[in-house]
Amino acid sequence: MTAIELRGVRKEFGDVTAVRDLDLTVEEGEVYGFLGPNGAGKSTTIDMLLDLVRPTSGTVRVLGRDATGDGVAIRQRTGVLPDGFSVYERLTGRKHVEFAVRSKEADDDPDDLLERVGILDDADRKAGGYSKGMRQRLALAMALVGDPDLLVLDEPSSGLDPAGAKEMREIVEREADRGATVFFSSHILEQVDAVCDRVGILREGELVAEDSVEGLREAVGGEETLEIAVGGADGTEGAGDAGVEAVRAVDGVSRVDRDGDALVVSCADGAKTRVIAALEDAGVAVDDFHTREASLEDLFLAYTEGDAPTTGASDEGSSTGGADAADEEVER
Amino acid sequence: MSLVAIAEKDFQDAVRSRGMIALVALFSLLVAVFAFVIRPTGQGEQFATELLLRFFVRPFLVTTLVPLVGVVIGYNAVSGERESGSLKLLLSLPHSRADVVFGKVVGRGAALSVAVFAGFLLPAAVLAVLAQTGGIAAFNAGSYFGFTVFAAVLGVVFVAIAVGCSAAASTQRRALIGGVSIYVLFVLLWGAVTGQFLGAAGGIVDPLPLSTEQVRMFLRVSNPKTGVEILSNAFLGGQLFTGETVNRQISAASMLVFWTIAPPLVGLWKFDTDGL
Repeated sequence: MTAIELRGVRKEFGDVTAVRDLDLTVEEGEVYGFLGPNGAGKSTTIDMLLDLVRPTSGTVRVLGRDATGDGVAIRQRTGVLPDGFSVYERLTGRKHVEFAVRSKEADDDPDDLLERVGILDDADRKAGGYSKGMRQRLALAMALVGDPDLLVLDEPSSGLDPAGAKEMREIVEREADRGATVFFSSHILEQVDAVCDRVGILREGELVAEDSVEGLREAVGGEETLEIAVGGADGTEGAGDAGVEAVRAVDGVSRVDRDGDALVVSCADGAKTRVIAALEDAGVAVDDFHTREASLEDLFLAYTEGDAPTTGASDEGSSTGGADAADEEVER
Repeated sequence: MSLVAIAEKDFQDAVRSRGMIALVALFSLLVAVFAFVIRPTGQGEQFATELLLRFFVRPFLVTTLVPLVGVVIGYNAVSGERESGSLKLLLSLPHSRADVVFGKVVGRGAALSVAVFAGFLLPAAVLAVLAQTGGIAAFNAGSYFGFTVFAAVLGVVFVAIAVGCSAAASTQRRALIGGVSIYVLFVLLWGAVTGQFLGAAGGIVDPLPLSTEQVRMFLRVSNPKTGVEILSNAFLGGQLFTGETVNRQISAASMLVFWTIAPPLVGLWKFDTDGL
């Protein structure tokens, strides 16, 4: 059975189209990362899964039921961590979880759930005094009530520190091992890489890519990132800026950023020798450089900014046959 | 039961608010002041429970303050949660929107009833003790308690109207405007507004097989505030649902039921068609 099935879904708010012609399928037991920059339509899509907003056209089916007509039955078997929610300030953490247990007619022990998300010690405090991260944990505890078949997590790591984000991932993994389908959104690809079977990237309301993380990486092709230390100790100020201009002009370079004394260059596989040469021609001293595999962030940006690389960048300048892609260090 | 879960949560949330304690204190204080004002002065004079209720507690507390409190408790029930974002948490759980609206009516209605009972009965307990010990003669505890029930009923009706308005309002601001309008319409301007209506609708009323007087009476009884006045009068006179005003009492009671159910339904209809 498919856990989530969207067909030709479109949502308009006034003249703004938040989601357009979205087709999306998530199979049962799958962990699906739903990515996109802020404002891409992720939350609107999630709200449609939960019948918080209704599609202008198209059909949304969740756990085999129609989201618009059967919302209560769907949410009975779904755990939700919403985005931009707030807690009931005057009720304690434990009361919140008790309320979720009652609402779902489940028989979980609230303390077990609070323990799992790491806020048992604060269970008797009013949730109004919780930090953002604790509120996020509390909502996760509420989402886990009743061992749901589907977990819908909207930006689950927001407000969590790195350790908290890691715990969140571990909980997601455990739920997936139990057999639950997990659908979660994020605007940071790093967070989904470790846990996702598949990711979909949403941009301006449209799904622009959908694949495993490896698949996406391949699709972006020979794109790699060069980190070049310039200027260095003898520090010719402004050398960096001249360098940026020179590198931008090189064929096969898609992106150049300055990072202190270093230039971060995204370029096609074979372009790196030309980049170094261009810097030297411009009179910029190259102290050190190394390449790294296209980071997830680069990958994400490739899809969500500028032109989506549908054909891949590898058809340009692959003449020098890029050798090993990862972490090749060259001392000069 | 989803509705019960929401009602219980909302009740617990409401009774923990500071306003709740202030309310109980205010009610108690006012009742105590009124009781002091009408205390028997001469020897052998009876404590006039009816006088206290009819001419002090009812006009100043029940038909003025209780509706206001009902509106204040109800107006942000749904719109407040919508604005803060806790509605997302609520509707992420398996609740229908009908559960939310009616759960709120029940939960907040119960919270208001608790405030009314606590606020009215604390000073009454003192009066009852005084009556027992002979400090004052003949405090009519039965009348007083029955009257408190009517006060709570009126409060619940206004909570229901305000919750309906809150569910229909897309923003907290609109809900507030709606709440104020409800209060002004029912408590302050009902007579003037219905009078205007009768004047303007003369042409429509005339062909009906009703006298203008009947329509006027119907409109008067339609106001929940008047409804509770009629019923509490009958109660204090020992003629609840009997006597010559029985028809009027039944209309009044039906209208109270109507106002408890219809506004939340209309609000729900609007809430159901809106996104969050």
